[in-house]
Amino acid sequence: MASSRFSKVDEYGFERPDDFDYETYEDFMSQYLTVLAKRAKKWAELIGEGKSLKRSLKVKTYVRKGIPGEHRGFVWLTVSGAEALREEWGSDFYQKLLSGPMNQDIVDIVKTDLPRTFPDNIFFSAGASHQQQLYNILVAYAHDNHQVGYCQGLNYIAGLLLLVTKSEDMTFWLLKVLVEHILPNYYTRTMDGVITDIEVLEELVRLKVPEVHQHVSSIGLPWAVVTTKWFICLFAEVLPVETVLRIWDCLFYEGSKIIFRVCLTLIKRNKVSLLQCNDFSSLAECFKEITRDSLVIQCHDFMQSIFKAPGSLSQSTILKLRRRLAQQRKNHTVQ
Amino acid sequence: MTNLGSAMANRSGAQRPNGTQGKICQFKLVLLGESAVGKSSLVLRFVKGQFHEYQESTIGAAFLTQTVCLDDTTVKFEIWDTAGQERYHSLAPMYYRGAQAAIVVYDITNQDTFGRAKTWVKELQRQASPNIVIALAGNKADLANKRMVEYDEARGYAEENGLLFMETSAKTAMNVNDIFLAIAKKLPKNEQVAGAGTSGQGRRLVESEGQQKAPGNCCK
Ligand SMILES: Nc1nc2c(ncn2[C@@H]2O[C@H](COP(=O)(O)OP(=O)(O)OP(=O)(O)O)[C@@H](O)[C@H]2O)c(=O)[nH]1
Ligand SMILES: [Mg+2]
Repeated sequence: MASSRFSKVDEYGFERPDDFDYETYEDFMSQYLTVLAKRAKKWAELIGEGKSLKRSLKVKTYVRKGIPGEHRGFVWLTVSGAEALREEWGSDFYQKLLSGPMNQDIVDIVKTDLPRTFPDNIFFSAGASHQQQLYNILVAYAHDNHQVGYCQGLNYIAGLLLLVTKSEDMTFWLLKVLVEHILPNYYTRTMDGVITDIEVLEELVRLKVPEVHQHVSSIGLPWAVVTTKWFICLFAEVLPVETVLRIWDCLFYEGSKIIFRVCLTLIKRNKVSLLQCNDFSSLAECFKEITRDSLVIQCHDFMQSIFKAPGSLSQSTILKLRRRLAQQRKNHTVQ
Repeated sequence: MTNLGSAMANRSGAQRPNGTQGKICQFKLVLLGESAVGKSSLVLRFVKGQFHEYQESTIGAAFLTQTVCLDDTTVKFEIWDTAGQERYHSLAPMYYRGAQAAIVVYDITNQDTFGRAKTWVKELQRQASPNIVIALAGNKADLANKRMVEYDEARGYAEENGLLFMETSAKTAMNVNDIFLAIAKKLPKNEQVAGAGTSGQGRRLVESEGQQKAPGNCCK
């Protein structure tokens, strides 16, 4: 659509797909720009002029309504505890890692994935500056955390963090806090944490959206088939980028339960479409479509709905389910 | 997902008003192999006729469908393209369970990926459906000057193990359609395919007018 006032490349450098729905997007943006302006003003008052930022109910509410792009990196670092981690380990920690000896296997596998990370993003295309920076971050992290090393998927997370922060050092610490503090063992060699969380989600769907659970089981589509990428990539490369960043705002503040809220909202709000799919292919296809439709493009409304649609969901409920299901799996493999 | 009775399905020779004949078979096919050997690229070539110099790494798995035609039969593939990194291995059984066909891919310029392909073949022979049709694809055949896996070595291994074998190139399209066609030929289309699992069990559908919109290249 040549008449669109939005260019082929979005503000983060991603080329918009050929089938990009400019009309829905323009409708949405005409309202969202007002929201953004209002939030920018509020945040300027909150953190402007040398004021420090601390976790508080007010900040949490602000975060839920979206952090302005220019403050994102700084706010994520502060509210997630990444900044505290950085102070604990020393501000030159990242640079030291980079100057240490490198394991060739890690270097090779990271190099293979570099040109395969966001090839359609102008900042990541061949020779662009972010490729070398992403390489540094991934290799440094793999050497810092031997249990994780390099797990495919981290390239997309670190890549998007880099697009937001424009800083290797900030990206490294945000990656570290995500992998080691916010998410439970998602990226280790057995990926136990992800497998457990997929089971937790299935159980939550059974409790909260039983018709969909029943329907998906009867068609025989495993939940992991649909949701592995949702968990591993934290919706990067799954949902529209602005929506992903709004989710990450809350993820850095509130922790991993946000992921379940997003999954459950997607499933619950698309219940009717999902129930209409009567075979495996169309159901699998439908689960793809619901990550691209206007519901998720309208990130502001979507983010409001994640705190309403799924109903109550506490961190302790999730912890209990995680423990129970991980134990069940253990017993199962021992037998 | 209805399985129509065999009486109906056997009328495969009946003349169709639109000139199309016969039955539609649906099969689940899984792609396995080390990361970056070109699994997604083969699928992209087969399904969309495209190739990307920089294909994004697959996380979890991707699902696509494509239809091919064999004489009077339309074969619809439900294709599961999996992630290659070793640590995603624990998720793989979910994808090959109930699959009627598998393409195990290696990169002819990388000996390790051939070793990994053999491990996949063994695992499939042990754990997948007993009648699964397995094809071995030596991909990136366009990079012959960097070849590390000899054609004869791979062909010998494939013969010993009863696998279909072709060297392919997702880049030039060499043998890409052919390998899918060879699999389609080898798949049993008259008997209900046995196998465990819940989905895609060689479902045979009778084409009813307007029901099936096959892609343009098919059954004209
Ligand atoms: N020269 C050449 N390059 C190829 C060919 N097939 C794939 N590639 C390239 O090899 C790289 C990896 O290809 P993919 O299709 O992403 O590999 P994959 O097996 O799906 O990798 P994972 O998703 O990580 O498991 C890409 O950059 C492709 O462009 C081929 O036939 N010839
Ligand atoms: Mg792939």
